[in-house]
Amino acid sequence: MSAPLTENLPYTRQEMMAIATGRELRDGELAIFGVGLSMLAGYFAQAHHAPNIRAMTEGGVYGATPVGGLPWGIECNRISANATSFTNALDALGFLVASGRCDVGIIGAAQVDKFGNVNTTGIWDGEIGDRYRLPKTRLTGAGGANDIACGAGRVVIMVTHEPKRFADQVSYISSPGYLDGGNARDKFGFVGGGPSAIVTTLGILRPDPVSKEFILDAYYAFSSVDEIRAATGWDLKVSPTVHVVPEPSPEELAALRRVDETGALRK
Amino acid sequence: MPANKLIPLAEAVRRYTRDGIQYASGAALPVGSDAVVFGRELLRQKRKNLHAVFHCNTQQLNLLAGAGAVDKAECGFSGLEVFGFANGLRRAVESGQTALEDYSNLAMALRLLGGAMNWPFVPATVNIGSDIQQRSAFAPDEYPATRKIPTVTDPFSGQEIGAFSPLKPDVAAIHVSLADPLGNAIMLGTEWSRFELSRAAKKVILIADAIVDTDCMRQYPNLVRIPDIVVEAVVYHPFAAWPQSSPGFYDVDEAHMKLMNKALATEEGTADYVRDYVERYDDIDSYLDLIGRDNVERLSNSATSFLLDPYRQWIKTPAEIAALTAEVTA
Repeated sequence: MSAPLTENLPYTRQEMMAIATGRELRDGELAIFGVGLSMLAGYFAQAHHAPNIRAMTEGGVYGATPVGGLPWGIECNRISANATSFTNALDALGFLVASGRCDVGIIGAAQVDKFGNVNTTGIWDGEIGDRYRLPKTRLTGAGGANDIACGAGRVVIMVTHEPKRFADQVSYISSPGYLDGGNARDKFGFVGGGPSAIVTTLGILRPDPVSKEFILDAYYAFSSVDEIRAATGWDLKVSPTVHVVPEPSPEELAALRRVDETGALRK
Repeated sequence: MPANKLIPLAEAVRRYTRDGIQYASGAALPVGSDAVVFGRELLRQKRKNLHAVFHCNTQQLNLLAGAGAVDKAECGFSGLEVFGFANGLRRAVESGQTALEDYSNLAMALRLLGGAMNWPFVPATVNIGSDIQQRSAFAPDEYPATRKIPTVTDPFSGQEIGAFSPLKPDVAAIHVSLADPLGNAIMLGTEWSRFELSRAAKKVILIADAIVDTDCMRQYPNLVRIPDIVVEAVVYHPFAAWPQSSPGFYDVDEAHMKLMNKALATEEGTADYVRDYVERYDDIDSYLDLIGRDNVERLSNSATSFLLDPYRQWIKTPAEIAALTAEVTA
């Protein structure tokens, strides 16, 4: 879906989301990016404030930065043209993520719920029920996002903020967040810590430290608490310290647009 | 003594595939390497009821499923990345024609590793706790699913984890950049899970964008991740991955990726696509004509072309390859 140009602002909502996501990454971290917008957000961080980030994709493509615009896939020639190492899925998703070595991952979502569980598998009308019936709309499946959600130190989820995408409970958990909340992840012994933020086209949600329910942490210059609550499919709680996210600086926008050469975030 | 294994594509499909087999593609995700042309030939020879093992969906699975040739599929990722949902596969799943069993991308690689090692199962520290474990398209009445990723106990820590079932596909058609006539292969770009698959599959067929002299392999033996001793047959086919990309050789054909996926969204569009792009060529030359010679030239002008430089001196000409192929089929 195309992002409307934000009223009277020199950037789009998708660009704000990408920059806010990129700000979650710190210099020097071992980071894994999913396909599409996640990759732009990650490489923006590298181009701007995290030059020593150790970036990889789940294909085992290392030392590369995209050339010629948003890669069509994590193995696309646009990301294979200047790599220093090509390995494989077992290496990237296994040795470097399932092992617990990876600091942070960025994943997308078709649907996310209040505990940060992600559905990218299918849309059913209502609950699936006891029989695994056919989906009304089949989506893409988990890909490597399940592995990143289980194994990365923390995970940033990037998603367009619409009511249908923000469900009280996803109909299918493709990639685990905090499951039923609280310490539910402990039962499975995941080496990764779970999602640290849901960064959207309207604001940033972060988990309550105890209940692990996502609450509104920040909104953008062009959005508001009311707008975000109205676009969320559960009764979204608001942090007592809710605040406005700083707008993109000229340097941030310039760095993002160098990475997003074909303007995928401006369409 | 290793032998020359070069055979034509149609002969490879005739000799090594049957209806109902467990068929694996050796690919690098939905946009990169994959022997999409092998899938076209499976349709030309009317293969059906396939059990497809695709680490990720590609345009090959999208086409095979869209054309109704796939009863079961197992995948980690079933879209087309930035090109969107895979309309042919999606239609087949939504209609019930294809039962699609979901895993994650690491899970598929681990299951192939398990098959290659002849392990009874592979410990699962991912996919557990999610609906990938709870829901099975192959056993839809069982909830929670008990045979897909059963719970087992780590005998050392006592932690509950899962068990993945190993994969040993009947046949794997693995796309490689360079192969010699004996079946030694070099892959440019990510190998994804082609290394494990080449040891897990019962029979391996290589589909190579170029054929090189064995001297090339002797120069770079560390890069030969698939050795001839696990390979049954070698097929030479330029633009084998089209419309997907092959690092060093050609970029993704964006227009055809979209055209193909749009066609596969309907039964009628799929029939048209099969008529126009599956049945309408007879050999490599007419296949390249179908892609369009200008298009072939444009796609070959890739930012990755330099990756091929070290190997160019050993690449065999079409005439040399034809002579070698004639030796085998004679």
